[in-house]
Amino acid sequence: MRGQKKTRRGEKDKLERARFVRKHSRAKAAFLTEAGRLKVGEYLERASSLSGFWVGALEWGKRSEVEDKVIILFLFLGQSKDKSFTVAVSEDPLPRLETSIDMNENKFVLNSHHDGGEWQFNTPAMSMVPLLPNAPSLAGGLMNQITRSSYLSTPMVEVFSPGQWNHHPTSSPNMALGESNFASTSSINSIPVGKPVAISPRGMLVSTEPRIFPTSLPHFPVDSAFVERAARFSCFGSGNFSGINFFGSSPAMAPSNNEGIGDQVQKDELLQVDHESFNGSTMKNQGDQNSQIGNGESRVVIFPEDGLEGNTGSTDAALNSSSSDRGVNKRRKTVPDIERDPVQGGRQSSSETTKENIENKQKVEQINSKQTEKNGKDNSEFVKEGYVHVRARRGQATNSHSLAERVRREKISERMKYLQELVPGCSKVTGKAVMLDEIINYVQSLQRQVEVSIMFLSMKLAAVNPQLDFGIEGLLAKNLLRAHGSSSSATGFSPEMIYPQAYPSQHNLVHTGISAMASHSDTFRRAISTQSTASGYKESPLQVQPMHIPWNEELITQMAYGANPSNPQNMDSKADDFAI
Amino acid sequence: MVALRFLRALSLVRCSGPGARSPSYRARGIRRAAYACMAASAGPRRAWSRALLRKIRRRPGRGLRRPRAVIRRRRPVGGGDPLEVALRRLVPGGGCMEYCRLLEEAADYVKCLAMQVRLMQTIVDSASHVNSID
Repeated sequence: MRGQKKTRRGEKDKLERARFVRKHSRAKAAFLTEAGRLKVGEYLERASSLSGFWVGALEWGKRSEVEDKVIILFLFLGQSKDKSFTVAVSEDPLPRLETSIDMNENKFVLNSHHDGGEWQFNTPAMSMVPLLPNAPSLAGGLMNQITRSSYLSTPMVEVFSPGQWNHHPTSSPNMALGESNFASTSSINSIPVGKPVAISPRGMLVSTEPRIFPTSLPHFPVDSAFVERAARFSCFGSGNFSGINFFGSSPAMAPSNNEGIGDQVQKDELLQVDHESFNGSTMKNQGDQNSQIGNGESRVVIFPEDGLEGNTGSTDAALNSSSSDRGVNKRRKTVPDIERDPVQGGRQSSSETTKENIENKQKVEQINSKQTEKNGKDNSEFVKEGYVHVRARRGQATNSHSLAERVRREKISERMKYLQELVPGCSKVTGKAVMLDEIINYVQSLQRQVEVSIMFLSMKLAAVNPQLDFGIEGLLAKNLLRAHGSSSSATGFSPEMIYPQAYPSQHNLVHTGISAMASHSDTFRRAISTQSTASGYKESPLQVQPMHIPWNEELITQMAYGANPSNPQNMDSKADDFAI
Repeated sequence: MVALRFLRALSLVRCSGPGARSPSYRARGIRRAAYACMAASAGPRRAWSRALLRKIRRRPGRGLRRPRAVIRRRRPVGGGDPLEVALRRLVPGGGCMEYCRLLEEAADYVKCLAMQVRLMQTIVDSASHVNSID
């Protein structure tokens, strides 16, 4: 994550929360209905009871460690005047939300520092949860508002006022969540952070003192109505933010007034944070989108709920290339439509950045097609977790089915291109069928080669002299342990490394290699785990994996060992020879 | 990464080698080790690596299935395209995935498989080379 390091309560806590959120993430969709608004509250309540609601940190463009965190994104849609919106979330339920936008890197990062303490919020709709005086959480305020169902027609702006977080009096009028918009904030280095504000007209007493936001940001006045509306369109999500779009309009943001908390200015802004634009495109993209926003569309960003598992594939650069997805945007919902359906609370229009998570795209597509089937027009749309934002191109059918299909086809072609790069000698092959044929042949040949090598190795192992590869391993062990501190060298580990030092056939090396394995297995594990974390494959307990497949280092040894149950008897314990 | 695991596994396989096992038994052990290392180094986030490990770990004759087994067969195959069917058979865990996912997993599988082949060939080369030096 760029920016500040987040303080954590502890790994255990995080894990617990992540688990909780994961467990409940399925219920998200239920919240988004008119009737489900209460469920949101319940959800929140339960979440808050878990000592905090996970609000995750956003990070664009790269998979961060927060994959398994729940990210709650609240979008507040402005009206047809377009604009504004949302925000974000704090990682910890409480306070000290820090958000920073790095324009140069096109990264939008929201961090929250853990303040400690429980997260609570008041809402008359729900059972009372006492607010901590110190740490009103941004999310808490959000939740609070979410439970409200009234819908106001006045556009609202949610603003984060970092300075106010500190000592926010309970009488402050609004809960502010805001997000700075990108286009205008080329000079702004951080997103204004909202402060929780009690909404007096609605009777929602929300906040207690907000936390401090160290960054000084322009903050936008908040209107309770906006908050209401925002609540309407909020959704919960989990996973990383690669699928999130924020919409904002620069002009609206620019004049923002650094008003005090008490100010309630009606301003709505749509902040658009295009994931794509974060990932390398320039701001002009946003300019475009901002102008599009001008016609009264608001889009809500939803991130996929199962983002926990997602993004592994994002390491594949080719697959993640946003260039192919650049032009694909599908309008999901317009703000006027939202206005027309005040009663349809909880429905949200969602748009996802076209930079899709590979893992989530499937779901997104399915959901997308499902939704498009349900909704003839764009009027009401349920927010499901992931959402593909597709725009109909000029001269093409705008049918929802065909749009979804087009997205799918593009995904498939993108992956075929990647496969083409992988398979040697397939650069000039055109056509899916021929390409598939080549891929199949290649996989078959690779598997045959593996079998041949296995047979050869088994013959070699049957040979008497054991010196060949165990000396290698000893040297490898030495290299690894030497390079233990620097993960960079560990990532450079490749099969070729074993080769140059493969020649020693001295016995002591063999013995040291073997004894190294026996006695320094812990260091091996550590080295390996260093490697593994460096190489990006997380073997931490937080990752999602099926329970019955243990992914620790014992796995491999068990595998091989299982085939040969006899104990190794010639493991020398000449550990004294081994010099690291 | 793969190399280290594989070498460790190989050494374990080898340690019982002189115990006069049949070569096919040894070959099976090496095969298991090779695929297990490959899958383990790929990471648990890949569907094919999970499926591969599941296949390896499943011992013949194990009757008891765990009740909390992973959901299989979310999306049964349409089975229209023979190429697609063939690819599904080749890639471990390919029966349950959608087409897009299948392509993605196939790409990753090909990558790891190529690396594994290179590694094994290097080991073989070094083995034969070492032998020839003596």
